[in-house]
Amino acid sequence: MAVNQEPQVFLYLSELLGRKVVDSEGRPFGRILDLTGNIGEIYPPVTDILLRSATDGKIVLFPWRRLAEAGDRLVAHPVQPGDIRAPALRTGELFLKETLLDKQVVDTDGAKIRRVNDLQFLQSQKILYLVHVDVGFHGLLRRVGLERPINFLFRVLFDYTLTDQLISWKFVQPVSSPDLLRLTVAQNRLAQLHPADLADIIEDLDIHQRAAVFRSLDVETAAETLEETDPKIQVSLIEALDTANASDIIEEMSLSEATDLLGDLPKDKAEGILREMEKDVAQDVKELLAHPEEKAGGLMTTAFFSFAPERTVREAMETIRREAEDMDLIYYLYVLDSEDHILGVLSLRELIVAAPEKTLSELMDTRIVTVGIEERKGRIAEDFAKYGMLAMPVVDEDNRLKGVILFKNLLEVVLPKLGR
Amino acid sequence: MVENLTGTFRGLWQAFIGKRVWKSIALFFALIGPGIITSNVDNDAGGITTYSLAGSEYGLTLLWTLIPITGALIIIQEMCARMGVVSGKGLSDLIRERFGARITFYLMIVLFLTNLGNTISEFAGVAASMELFGVSRHISVPISAAIVWWLVVKGNYKSVEKVFLLACVFYLSYIISGFMGKPDWHAIGTSFLKPTVRLDTGWLTMAVGVIGTTIAPWMQFYLQSSVVDKGLKAEDYQYTRMDVIIGSVTVNVVAFFIIMLCAVTLFQNGIRIESAKDAAQALAPLAGEYASWLFAFGLLNASLFAASILPISTAYTICEAFGWESSLNRKFLEAPQFYGLYSLMVFLGAGIILLPDMPLITIMYYSQVINGAILPVILVFMLLLVNDRKIMREYTNSLAMNIVSWLTVAILTLLSLTMIGFALFSK
Repeated sequence: MAVNQEPQVFLYLSELLGRKVVDSEGRPFGRILDLTGNIGEIYPPVTDILLRSATDGKIVLFPWRRLAEAGDRLVAHPVQPGDIRAPALRTGELFLKETLLDKQVVDTDGAKIRRVNDLQFLQSQKILYLVHVDVGFHGLLRRVGLERPINFLFRVLFDYTLTDQLISWKFVQPVSSPDLLRLTVAQNRLAQLHPADLADIIEDLDIHQRAAVFRSLDVETAAETLEETDPKIQVSLIEALDTANASDIIEEMSLSEATDLLGDLPKDKAEGILREMEKDVAQDVKELLAHPEEKAGGLMTTAFFSFAPERTVREAMETIRREAEDMDLIYYLYVLDSEDHILGVLSLRELIVAAPEKTLSELMDTRIVTVGIEERKGRIAEDFAKYGMLAMPVVDEDNRLKGVILFKNLLEVVLPKLGR
Repeated sequence: MVENLTGTFRGLWQAFIGKRVWKSIALFFALIGPGIITSNVDNDAGGITTYSLAGSEYGLTLLWTLIPITGALIIIQEMCARMGVVSGKGLSDLIRERFGARITFYLMIVLFLTNLGNTISEFAGVAASMELFGVSRHISVPISAAIVWWLVVKGNYKSVEKVFLLACVFYLSYIISGFMGKPDWHAIGTSFLKPTVRLDTGWLTMAVGVIGTTIAPWMQFYLQSSVVDKGLKAEDYQYTRMDVIIGSVTVNVVAFFIIMLCAVTLFQNGIRIESAKDAAQALAPLAGEYASWLFAFGLLNASLFAASILPISTAYTICEAFGWESSLNRKFLEAPQFYGLYSLMVFLGAGIILLPDMPLITIMYYSQVINGAILPVILVFMLLLVNDRKIMREYTNSLAMNIVSWLTVAILTLLSLTMIGFALFSK
């Protein structure tokens, strides 16, 4: 890493903890227990040290800027009456050892949960900045006190030098307490993650951290993340929210995912959420909920485009532009008669390249593949494989279009069984 | 007409049993598992050997110790399960966060060694029991190692849990073979009503051995992680407690039948044995071919069961403590430490059995000693953690629970130290 240009100005938290501080006359002043940092800034500066006073054994805070290094000793100089204060944190501050050392953090760059083995500071003009979090084996050895012997062993045996595994503080999101997520909400680093990665991370966290992390997300990210999360964990996350928040998030989800989730929730909670949701969305969800989950009816969504045959390309494009945001499927347009019988289908590509005044009935393909509403997953998967489509229309016994199954939704059903 | 009848029946049935009861029973079956599985794994090859020896050498005199052991097991496991439910974290996770890197590092090294020793003895149990069925260890051990590896790497928690619960049922074979020994229930009752303590070194060592094999360090880590894995919530805690209690009782019922069977057959006929394999063999003329067969089958089941759980539990525990990726959902290269540790345990455990002239008895003996030495440390950590308000909120130990649990831990510590003392002294 590029940080090793001037190694002498880097300091580790483990080197500072437990160190003795003396006053200007060389008398013992205290022993360092912890540091406080202001995490409001990109690289948090160390503000105070928490120390156990050598004179009366009290635990107090003392400003970092009043410390000077003299040889291998830390000297508190000068000590002014107002410097020593009771251990209360100011806004934006936290105890670095207590909240970070040995705790789990999210590495938003690598999209992983890591355990903090050490913290690395950069000293610049008497100010100590928290710049890196050490998550490597080497850092662990330093903590354990076996750095030298093991380094020696590795060099002799394998001709290999262990290196530090450092993550820049920019990519670190602490999760050990809900307050941390609230403090950093202005620059919530979790938002840098892809929802699918975020979902993996949430699954790996413990129950309290999960809830706290999930709560810290904005509604849209929360909905996207929820779609990618394991159904069992989805339920526990939603159960922990009040109905109003829960319904806001579920409304943002795709219709079929929202339906699956509501179907898994306890009845009272699901009904409460449905009442809070927008009327038309709730209506759609209720219709979908009536179908068993493992059949076509339970896999399908109703958020797709359908048009009458006499509509023109121009009209269809306008509708799409207006409503595409709320649709689960935009790539296929289904042409229906007045009783919802499916007449034909055309793709978005065909629509885009067509002349605006043409009607859909002129463009549509009438060779339609459909599945029955009672069809089982296995058969549907075979049809997808055979016809190579992105979505499959679902019809009832009178051949009326009821919904479409997205390839993506079926993939989630079929994929876990592949390669097993 | 028929529909009418069944409808009436259902109505009557529901009125009789009550809907709430059904709901609770259904919920109970959905939430149990961790406690029962953990306790039963504990009756592993080492456990069965110890119980057989206890029964054949000291007759019924050690039976009564199972009652206080059950109590201690319940107290300790209950705390673990509670920590898992409330904190949502594993035990090694909590130890690392609370006690720091250095202590955790050394604790994990020791835990690895003792668990490796235990794994070796599980594969030794597989080898011994299959030899009773006439299968060479050079066939049985590699195959069982492959099965263990495949089950864990290819299965998911739900299906694996079902296999494990099924394995628990097979412990019944010990109860059946126990009855085949035609026990004298009167004498057994007396042994409970008038407990005796003998003050000779052999008896005391055996008593400590029975306790040591029932309460092992790795169980606490495994139980807490599986409670967390199952995603149990504080509201459902009552069911988890039931799970733990049932598990602790059944494990000791099985232990009772093994000790009792060996006492009424081998001890009464003055037959000395050195292993569970000897016990199974010696049973044939005394309790019948089937009893012997069931005994050997029980040993195989127990050894395989524990061999599936020990390595994976160790890998999880260590990776959790050091923050390494630890999930069966990841690929090998994404979680190298996890798969590395797991495979190392399985291969060393199975491989060492196959080496000629391996001093197996010595290995198991030292692993028992380390077990005994590390147990007090872990128990004290547990008590400190379970009383930490930051972690446990309002679910810390009550005063009464603290008195009982500290007392239990003190006694167990004393016994463990005694065992180490005996072990080193008698060498």
